[in-house]
Amino acid sequence: MTALHAELRKLVTLPSLRLTALLTLAATALLAYASAAAGQRSGLGPLGYTQAGFLVFGALAAASEHQGGEQVRATLLSMPRRLPLYGAKTLTLAAVAAPFAAAVAATSTVPAGEAGRAPAATAYLTLTTLLAAAAGTLLRRAEAAVVLLLAGYFVAFPLLRDRWGAALPDTAALDPSRGTAASLAWTACALLAAGAVFHRRDA
Amino acid sequence: MTAFRHAVRAEVRKLLGLPTAWLGLAAGTLLAPAIVLLNAPYTRRAIADGTIADPSDLGLQDLGIGLIGPMVLGVVIVSSEYTSTGPDAPRARQLTATLTAMPGRLRLLAAKAAALILVAAAQAALVATAVLTLTQVLLGGHVPVPAPARIAAAVLYWVLTALLAYAVTLITRNGVVPLTFLIVNSTVVSVSYLLTKVTDLAVYLPDIVGAQMFIRTADFPVRVAPVTAGLVMTGWVAVLLAVGAALFHRRDA
Repeated sequence: MTALHAELRKLVTLPSLRLTALLTLAATALLAYASAAAGQRSGLGPLGYTQAGFLVFGALAAASEHQGGEQVRATLLSMPRRLPLYGAKTLTLAAVAAPFAAAVAATSTVPAGEAGRAPAATAYLTLTTLLAAAAGTLLRRAEAAVVLLLAGYFVAFPLLRDRWGAALPDTAALDPSRGTAASLAWTACALLAAGAVFHRRDA
Repeated sequence: MTAFRHAVRAEVRKLLGLPTAWLGLAAGTLLAPAIVLLNAPYTRRAIADGTIADPSDLGLQDLGIGLIGPMVLGVVIVSSEYTSTGPDAPRARQLTATLTAMPGRLRLLAAKAAALILVAAAQAALVATAVLTLTQVLLGGHVPVPAPARIAAAVLYWVLTALLAYAVTLITRNGVVPLTFLIVNSTVVSVSYLLTKVTDLAVYLPDIVGAQMFIRTADFPVRVAPVTAGLVMTGWVAVLLAVGAALFHRRDA
């Protein structure tokens, strides 16, 4: 319980995360308004772009431990058992990301009259945040993790979608029936890999 | 002159010592050829059944996939100066050491720009060669070899994109914000492209107008002649660089 509480306080007091959440919400509202004005009636359209905010959110949340003064050393001094610590980190990030994801999903889907798609979108965005956090833990640098994630989600995956769509983690953003399994599998694998590396690697 | 050459060499070495820059170099260099290769059977079918009506832009168009490379290079050459250097000196930033060695701030910016142009142009030439060769090998017969001037324009677009990222990061002094914005806006259906549907003026945004230096078949509401397009994009970069340089010159490090 103490670990969860500590991790939660560390997350909610990071200014960069608050800024990311605000910018993402504002960008979603703007794009939802613009796509409604342009006559496009897809509630998931704006999320295709603003999921970038969730990738940044997850990467920053995880990499913040490893940047600047290397907070992770203090964290490990007070909580030396690494796997429970990593579990606590993942749970708290999911708990913080879920309301943020719900707000963004609602902003995007409700104006288009597709409120029914909001729960699936919330789940997808939360999973995406966890995947990004795993990348942040693996690379330990926010910028590098952001580059890698955005290169995948915004450059490589869209071009590969026609042929490999069912295997990509972000197909679920457009077509939940086709990509959900891939989203879950990618996030689970990334979390397992990051957990193992966090457990084994020198801090 | 020798002093400036030393400064440029120092900046190239600093840039090539950054792990994130290598990520940009690797992603920017490998993504475009890899995707051309993976999608080749699909592209061939699309040309055959007429989904791609005019294939003459194919090779040059695919270069855009690698633009993440110059964006990352332009951002990290600045943002690396502002991030904390390590656990032993949590508040120390590399910029302090850089400015101690090179107190002339505008000279430092010029050296950084020169280093960035060198690295980005080398990467662009490499990727252009790889992608155009692959296009000829895989889709030869369907796609004509583009004129040398258009290839040069594509390399210029690549270098200007790096300088644009450099200028924006000089203004923000943070890497994550410009990186996210630039990469999200470099997607196949970018925000700039959507804006061209709303107003014709959006054709003059730097990424859209720059592409018209060498792309002919994209559906933009207004066609801009290649030379004009190049001048407009250079204008954007010059203005942003001037703002970035003025801020860097005046602001506390």
